[in-house]
Amino acid sequence: MTGNIAIIGYGLSAIGPGIGIGLIFAAFINGVARQPEARGMLQSIAILGFAFAEALAIFGLVLYFIS
Amino acid sequence: MSITMLAPTGVLLASGGGEGFEPPGPQDFWQPLIGSGTWAFTRPMLLWIISVVALSWWFIATTRKAAIVPGKGQFLTEMFYNTTRNGIARDMIGSKEFLKYVPFLFSLFAILLVNNLFGVIPPFQFPTISRIGFPIALTAIVYVIYHYIGIKKHGLRGYFGSFVPSGLPAWIVPMVLVLETFSFFVTRPLTLAMRIFGNMLAGHMLLLVFITGGEYMLLHGGIGLKVISVPTFLLAFIMTVFEALIEVVQAYIFTLLAASYIATSLADEH
Amino acid sequence: MHALASVPALAPASDMANASPILPAWGELIVGFVFFGIFYWAVKKYVVPNLEKAYADRTAAIEGGMHKAEEAQQEAQAALEQYQAQLAEARSEAARIREEAREQGANILTEMRAQAQTEATRITESAKKQIEAERQQAIVSLRGEVGRISTDLASRIVGESLHDEARQKGIVDRFLAELESGDVKPEAVGAVPAEES
Repeated sequence: MTGNIAIIGYGLSAIGPGIGIGLIFAAFINGVARQPEARGMLQSIAILGFAFAEALAIFGLVLYFIS
Repeated sequence: MSITMLAPTGVLLASGGGEGFEPPGPQDFWQPLIGSGTWAFTRPMLLWIISVVALSWWFIATTRKAAIVPGKGQFLTEMFYNTTRNGIARDMIGSKEFLKYVPFLFSLFAILLVNNLFGVIPPFQFPTISRIGFPIALTAIVYVIYHYIGIKKHGLRGYFGSFVPSGLPAWIVPMVLVLETFSFFVTRPLTLAMRIFGNMLAGHMLLLVFITGGEYMLLHGGIGLKVISVPTFLLAFIMTVFEALIEVVQAYIFTLLAASYIATSLADEH
Repeated sequence: MHALASVPALAPASDMANASPILPAWGELIVGFVFFGIFYWAVKKYVVPNLEKAYADRTAAIEGGMHKAEEAQQEAQAALEQYQAQLAEARSEAARIREEAREQGANILTEMRAQAQTEATRITESAKKQIEAERQQAIVSLRGEVGRISTDLASRIVGESLHDEARQKGIVDRFLAELESGDVKPEAVGAVPAEES
């Protein structure tokens, strides 16, 4: 079996952001369920938080490509 | 999933005697049409130019005689324009200064959306953004814009000062400043470009895996693999629909983040 | 692919396919810049101004339309009020006229009645007066006649003696003088005609 160990590294690095993004959107859904009128504001914040969390996974991807 | 399916492939291939399956990789995305090397005219370039021409034509044609009561084409354009103008620009930047940035965000969203959707639209079937040159070009423009307006508004010193939230204890300020500077100058552009690039590349590669894998199993595999190829194609179809959704969302996120970076540079207090 | 990252992709590599996918091909980067610039220019120059103008026009049109509708409604309201006011006025006018006519009728009736009453009273009065006057006249003339007739009668009955005596004593003269002056004393002469009538 051939391959690159960096792929495993990327897989591992994606776990944390995956959980983080899940938490962010869980909180977003909770917030919208409690206050549907705040949806627009919450959506922007949720996507920003999602972008920050995802940054870590993207670092993993970059490191995989430059390995 | 591909591994579990490929495991019996090896067994069956050994008996079938065909050559091994070559899984798709990043190398499949280099598709020069004319010439070779780094200056070659490639397929994504052609798609990019087509998208620019088509979008320009469509938008100018539908808004040249913009009427108070819109026709069908103008209505579609306006619906899209409203999403960018009110849903992204005004919500993120604020109703005072957003109008100046609407043309930029609008063209960004339009060109990203169309080029992403090229990934699933049959005659094109190639997401332009999966070639890193294009997201880097767009990100560089966003990068220059938000630093420029930040420095223009606060001055160079004030701009760096605005990285640090007010009201922090003095001993923590240098650390936050270093982290935020790193975020403003490295993390933000890097993630902005790599997010959309990675999503497009990986998504399209996933589709390629399903389709070329299914095709290989159907054409070269034994009877068992021919049966397995049917759910593979079905999955490829489902993944295509999913991919279309991802493409729209990624274009939206890119534009939203660009607007948000502009907004933080414009903000009076960080 | 792990070994290929060391290949400088930005250099004109003979095989771009094996370059790291996160290093841009210069051609694509430049094309990305240039054509996005063209698109941005087209959008900024032609699309957004037209759309914003349409938005502004639409806002103005909607506001103008609302304004116009409001005006029309106010006008209609004013017209309705005016009409109602006129109607009420006409009604009160009619009621007033009717009342007036009734009053006038009643007035005329009372007036006429009073007039008739006074006329009747006057006629009765004048009739009574006439009757009285005629009666007085009749009484006066009757008295004179009675005096004359009674003296005639008395002279005829009494004859010469009375003539002479009367002449002598001047009773008849006095009586006649009294009679002519109209001052007849009922005690003196009228005792007989009074009993006669």
